[in-house]
Amino acid sequence: MEIAEPVVLTDIPWVTIVWNDPINLMTYVTYVFQTYFGYDEMKAQALMLDVHHKGRAVVSSGSREEMERDVTAMHSYGLWATTQREDA
Amino acid sequence: MFTRDGNQVLLDLEAQELELLVQLYGQLHELLAHDEMEVDADPFIQLLSMDGPTSVPQDPALARLFPSAYLEDEEAASDFRRFTEPDLRRKKLACVRDVLSQLQAFESVLALDSHQTQNWLLSLNDLRLVLGTRIGVGEQDEDEEHTAEQDQDLERDPGYFLYDYLTYLQGTLIDLL
Repeated sequence: MEIAEPVVLTDIPWVTIVWNDPINLMTYVTYVFQTYFGYDEMKAQALMLDVHHKGRAVVSSGSREEMERDVTAMHSYGLWATTQREDA
Repeated sequence: MFTRDGNQVLLDLEAQELELLVQLYGQLHELLAHDEMEVDADPFIQLLSMDGPTSVPQDPALARLFPSAYLEDEEAASDFRRFTEPDLRRKKLACVRDVLSQLQAFESVLALDSHQTQNWLLSLNDLRLVLGTRIGVGEQDEDEEHTAEQDQDLERDPGYFLYDYLTYLQGTLIDLL
């Protein structure tokens, strides 16, 4: 039996970006990255510090549908997240 | 404050804290439920319809709870909002309602299961987002002209004390997770 390969329409993935805000606690943001994405503490903390110092960080990448799911999840945690093409 | 006993998260509140939280959660409930009514007055239609709002809420606090998912594509942002905001709002409301009912039944220390703990964590964060937006947390950083006097004004704002308290309370919960 032949298994159909998924059709890749584009090589350019989508990304989920989390933006800095003055209200969310750093410990909370780290907790969300660990809990939702399953990142280890070091990676979650590094991403949180990127958000804090650089104003934003790419926290995940994949298909547009996956990124919209991640953005919705971030909004349910109260984080400010957006999605766009990686090169945008 | 929140403490841990083995696998359980416990919440102990002074009478004053309880009163304060009931008030704050009541207001958050009103904010989320009121706007929900405006979107579509008929709850039956609302239940059947996937249609949500297409533009950013005018109230800055609601805009913070329901931000745009696309920065540079208005059409995609509208579509995304229409399909996701009603569900997100229902989830936030469900969290708030669960915590409110726990508060209203509060007699002594609350023992929270993992679902209740999660509801506390998310709704405390939403409360801080709303209150923080209302009192302008972070805005003073962009204003270089601000003076020590203005800082003192902010610190005297009763909203600032509430915000500080919520930050403390949420902090005690995050430390346990």
